[in-house]
Amino acid sequence: MMKWKNASVVGWSNIHVKKHKLMNINGVFIEDTFAEAFPMRATRIIITGINYKWARHAAETMTGFATSVIGCKVEAGIERELGNHETPDGRPGIAVLLFATDRKTLEAQLQARIGQCVLTCPTTAVFAGLEGEGQIALGKNLRYFGDGYQTSKQVDNHRYWRIPVMDGEFLCEETTGYQTAIGGGNLLVFARSLSQVLLACEAAIDAMSMLPNIILPFPGGGVRSGSKVGSKYKTLSASTNHPYCPTLKGLPDNVLDKNVEAVMEIVIDGLSIEDLNLAMRRGIEAICDLGKAQGIEKITGGNYGGKLGPHHFHLREIMGGDQT
Amino acid sequence: MSATTIEYKGSGDHRVNMRWLQQALEQDLSPKEISKSTLNLGSEQTLLGDIFSITGKLSASEITLKNSTPSLDYVGIGLPSGRTLSVEGDCGHYLGQQLAGGRLICTGSALHYAGCNMQAGSIEIMSNAGDYVGGSIAGNRRGMAGGRLLIHGDSGDFTGDLMRRGLLMVAGNIGDHCGNRMIAGTITSMGSVGENAGNSMRRGTLLFPSKPASIATGFSDCGRHSLGFLPLLMRDIRAPESAFQTLHPMRRRVQRYLGDASVDGQGELLIWIG
Repeated sequence: MMKWKNASVVGWSNIHVKKHKLMNINGVFIEDTFAEAFPMRATRIIITGINYKWARHAAETMTGFATSVIGCKVEAGIERELGNHETPDGRPGIAVLLFATDRKTLEAQLQARIGQCVLTCPTTAVFAGLEGEGQIALGKNLRYFGDGYQTSKQVDNHRYWRIPVMDGEFLCEETTGYQTAIGGGNLLVFARSLSQVLLACEAAIDAMSMLPNIILPFPGGGVRSGSKVGSKYKTLSASTNHPYCPTLKGLPDNVLDKNVEAVMEIVIDGLSIEDLNLAMRRGIEAICDLGKAQGIEKITGGNYGGKLGPHHFHLREIMGGDQT
Repeated sequence: MSATTIEYKGSGDHRVNMRWLQQALEQDLSPKEISKSTLNLGSEQTLLGDIFSITGKLSASEITLKNSTPSLDYVGIGLPSGRTLSVEGDCGHYLGQQLAGGRLICTGSALHYAGCNMQAGSIEIMSNAGDYVGGSIAGNRRGMAGGRLLIHGDSGDFTGDLMRRGLLMVAGNIGDHCGNRMIAGTITSMGSVGENAGNSMRRGTLLFPSKPASIATGFSDCGRHSLGFLPLLMRDIRAPESAFQTLHPMRRRVQRYLGDASVDGQGELLIWIG
């Protein structure tokens, strides 16, 4: 056994690496594998309101049913709260990130969600939150809701639409930027009990949620129904990840050790590789802080043999250890 | 690159057409070539070198026009982006007409049609301006179409006539018929406004601290409101150093009038309250 070279930086005392074989952090085994992710198109918008309560109502509503592009067309989440000094109109705001497989879908989903969830929400306004590689419509088409009473105002090379509504005016920027991004970064956490895996994931989610440029699109940030690519049923493109289902332990395809009783996944979408690397690192650090003593056995990544996407996030590389 | 100076040496008895400067900039003429050019002065012709002395190259990004008088018309016409023209003294008519992105500063006053048909860039007049500021020359269907026009003093009648886009700021008072036939854009003032404001206004915003002496008859009183776009607009309004910087950046409470119904318009006249 040798000391892990970055141990002093991280501050853990119980880190050991067996080259090419093992990476244990605080007793948690980091599997020598990679999490597979795929390219996406992303945008950021800023929703403001008379207070956080109403801005958050709009943000939460528009990011609802946006867990996976497979069934929802878009993955969306709240990035963070913005102070009055950070928003264009000087009110409390929420930054929202949306990810889709292509620009057209992203634009369609954005407009539908703004129209149904933000336009309708009392006191809110919506602004572009990204310069990006190109522009997609934000209020550009929504303005027709104004039935001819809408007016535009160009300020500092940005065009805003003012749509009369029953609480005054709905203010929205004409377009927002979009850029290439990455979806589907992930971590799989193995623990001796459901409560322990939940505790570990919650710690990881809390740590990752502090970071900019990423979202965890699934409920609360965690996924219990991790999927594999394909199914025995021809109509399904994805199905339950049965090798990781604890109730199927002992069957030939199942890979879980007998002491593992629950597995949880955390899915991460980010604007860049660096953002995902940092998020996964922070997540792994938070989980390993709990360590084997808290029942955490292993961390691995969703590796689909390259079938899912071209972005491969090697867990040991992220943690600064050796790669095999 | 060093600054270039153009000094007016004339008596000011005749009107001088300054379009030659636009042509000289486009053709990058040397001071020697310019001096040999002729200029109509009343019914006579004269050499430019006889009434202007030029030091430095016109390719310089900053040009200063010294000893300017109200007899100099079309100063800074079509000034392109990347160029700054500082005018020391007063200017005649059509200051900064069709400004195309450049920066024009006049330390004195300007006569009529300052900034008319300007497209982009900024004009700053340290004193007063005449009629049809940010308007349109006769026959054109659109006035000022972009950029910022800031007058630290007063402006005359028909301010913003046929204005299409941009920001027109008057720190002092505005004359009659402000926003006449306005198509879009914003006109704001820190002082009083004369009769018949917003006449035949189609779109756009008039933003004043108090109600004008009279408003065009086709305006409806829409009541008092807090408008979310005003803090955004305030950033633009408060950007240059001027009396407007005393306004609170988050101010958004206004009395709103909508019109002019006589032309089926939806322009707005906003009066600060609270």
